[in-house]
Amino acid sequence: MKRSVVLLSSLVLLAAAASPAAAAEKLRLGYLRSDLHHLAAWVGIEKGFFRDEGLEVEVAGIFNAGAEEMSAFASKGIDVGYLGMAPSVTGVANKAASVKAAALANAEGSAIVVRADSPLRQVKELAGKTVAIPGYASVQDFLLHRALEAAGLEAGAVKIIVVKPPEMITALESSQIDAFIAWEPHATKAVTKGVGRVLIPSSQIWQGHPCCVVAFEGSVAHDRPVVVQAFLRAHAKATAFILANTDEAVRTGVQYTGMDEKTVRMALGNITYRSELERAPVREYASYLARLGYIKETDPDAILRDYIDPAGLVKDARP
Amino acid sequence: MAVSVELRVEGVEKAFDAGSERRILGGVSFTAPAGSILCVLGPSGCGKTTLLRIIAGLETPDGGRVTIGDRVVAGPAPEIGYITQEPTLLPWRTVLGNVELGLEFAGVPREKRHATALQHLELVELAGFDGYHPKQISGGMKQKVALARSLAVEPRVLLLDEPFAALDAQTRNALQEVLLHVLERTRTTVVFVTHNVDEAVFLGDAVVCMTAQPTRVGKFVEVNVPRPRDRTGPELNALRKELLVFLAEERLKARLAGQENSLLPPPPAAARSVGMFDGSRGQ
Amino acid sequence: MSGRRWHFLLQLGPLVAVALLWEALGAAGIVPENRLPPPTHVLGGLGELISRGLPPGSSLLGHCAASLRRVFGGVGAALAVAIPLGLLLGRSSRLRTLVHPFVELTRPIPPLAWVPLAILWFGIGDLSAVFIIFLGAFFPILLNTVTGVLSIDRGLIESAVILGASKRDLFLKVLAPGATPAIMTGVRIAVGVGWMTLVAAEFTGVKSGYGLGYMIMTARDIQRADQIVAGMLVIGLIGFGMDSLIRIGERRLLQWR
Repeated sequence: MKRSVVLLSSLVLLAAAASPAAAAEKLRLGYLRSDLHHLAAWVGIEKGFFRDEGLEVEVAGIFNAGAEEMSAFASKGIDVGYLGMAPSVTGVANKAASVKAAALANAEGSAIVVRADSPLRQVKELAGKTVAIPGYASVQDFLLHRALEAAGLEAGAVKIIVVKPPEMITALESSQIDAFIAWEPHATKAVTKGVGRVLIPSSQIWQGHPCCVVAFEGSVAHDRPVVVQAFLRAHAKATAFILANTDEAVRTGVQYTGMDEKTVRMALGNITYRSELERAPVREYASYLARLGYIKETDPDAILRDYIDPAGLVKDARP
Repeated sequence: MAVSVELRVEGVEKAFDAGSERRILGGVSFTAPAGSILCVLGPSGCGKTTLLRIIAGLETPDGGRVTIGDRVVAGPAPEIGYITQEPTLLPWRTVLGNVELGLEFAGVPREKRHATALQHLELVELAGFDGYHPKQISGGMKQKVALARSLAVEPRVLLLDEPFAALDAQTRNALQEVLLHVLERTRTTVVFVTHNVDEAVFLGDAVVCMTAQPTRVGKFVEVNVPRPRDRTGPELNALRKELLVFLAEERLKARLAGQENSLLPPPPAAARSVGMFDGSRGQ
Repeated sequence: MSGRRWHFLLQLGPLVAVALLWEALGAAGIVPENRLPPPTHVLGGLGELISRGLPPGSSLLGHCAASLRRVFGGVGAALAVAIPLGLLLGRSSRLRTLVHPFVELTRPIPPLAWVPLAILWFGIGDLSAVFIIFLGAFFPILLNTVTGVLSIDRGLIESAVILGASKRDLFLKVLAPGATPAIMTGVRIAVGVGWMTLVAAEFTGVKSGYGLGYMIMTARDIQRADQIVAGMLVIGLIGFGMDSLIRIGERRLLQWR
């Protein structure tokens, strides 16, 4: 009798020890306010893709700009974030935070917008005008400079000022600025409101240019690689879902941006959702940012090493 | 120099508070002949300051009136000079700037203003101090400046409310002599309020004694002693005794009538100002 | 004279000590450099702010000039409105009672809360920044002026009236000079508040592209903490300088006290 009790209890204990941990892994997520580029994150939450991978994703911060999100990374307030490649590269290059980019969130999806009644037709006509950007060292800042360069203008030919995206449309309307460059859906919103007209979409400034990335806080990337992979799988799934289910994607976009369906649908058409992160564009951003004088580090390879973990966070994470 | 005028106080009454039954001044009447110095003597708290403020036009009586020359007093004016115990010099102005204040208000051009002001400073024996600021001079000197300032606008009447009470005995005596010297020149009609009997008999051509509240004129004494007067001479001594006795009697009467607290000084005049000065100091 | 020099060194001493400690903590890695850059980094950042400018090409001097211009505009406007109003309110308790509810309702609202309205009314140019600063500077000056008038000895006012002062004479020659000590205190406070408010007001975007707040915001955008702190240092130094100048002016103006 005694021996069977011992045997039974051991079996129970073994069974308990062998059963998989049912508790989900927690991750704190950050993204930009009303930035349609980050739709994959929203879809991932709404459709439960993160949950399916055993992740409990908590939205720890919704930011107004990439630089803010980098600050959150620096103070370890978030574990994973969706933000622009430019601010994240800048922050890593300036040693503001330890962050590893692991996937792309989207490509393209910005535009230079002028007033609806403006006679401007080409980028080079922006000479002497005032153009607003969402912030220095943002993807849009980068794109604007490239567009000006391509049009043969010097950087100083255009007056660049910083305006918060929600205020850009008002500023354009009241002629405080002559043009702005912003991420979707702000660009399309100006059009549907009848205030603005797209001068040039970012896909024409630099075709296929990567825009926002999925990045992990340095210690999270180092200490929790399994969680990272799980998240990337869910992100890839969400990206594929967007490409296959436009209507639902639009609904989620409306829900998270608060904008009307027509605007979101149009804006979606300008964004390319893709999750493979490549090295070459990062090097391009790095050297350009150095040229603009935003970062001190001038060796793009050094930056790349800090920015993308060569051990291969960047796996081909297809679902 | 203006022509001397007579000052008449006729049946002036003033209630303790607006609408109160209790009266501070219960019908005061006296006349200061033109060019004379009339001293008003009374126990503390009998309303001497209130009376003087009414004469100056700073407060309105509840009954009776004040006449200067042929005009009834209806409000403050430069022709009714008024000097208080605390010299009210503008601290940010020099001595000269203070003395010429009234002349500035009257629109007198600068050259003439300066000249007149300097003249008056000399009169009060302050020549050479025109560039000083009030904080740099003594209390006695400040009162001299106040005197010069009032006289510079050639008032018809000069009212002084215990102007030397805050000064030490020597300075007080000296300033009394300066005042007499100045008045000899200007022959302004003066009402001089004091609680100091020595001062009253030394300065006044006549002394009016006030009773306790409700205050009336209790005693009127002429001082027919030629100047310069001997402060410790027999004539002044006799007068002094007479007045001191009267004051003591009044104090006793007040105590017996249970008016002890009426001998307390009235609340600061500023808090009870009526007319132009609405609003008190407190917030 | 050595007494004053010694006093100056005594004040400098603690600053130097703190800077050295800060540097040591940073070098030892106790305070991460990206959170709080050590003094050497900050000075380096300052050097770049001066040599290259931030955004690149915008000179530090240009930023300072723009910010100072806005502060002077806002404080100047506040002086022009608050002093006469304060003198009037100081004289009339009736007016004070009338105005009291408006003042007490608006005063607690921080100037920054007005920014959205300001941008709606005045756009993103200098005028909205000046307006924000005006709001911050207005109340200290107004309240101090009223207090100043109320603190004038009633006897002074009476004497002036007796000497024949007209209403205008009274305001210009008695009330204004009499309230000046309190007004100067109000000005010092107003300039301090205005300077602090300005930087935050410039965060929301500024059309000319110049301003110290705008410069710091740019440093923030490109995540250069050393330049953020360097910018803060510049702001602090200028604020200190302005306050010192006002104090010197105050002392000279109020020599009669």
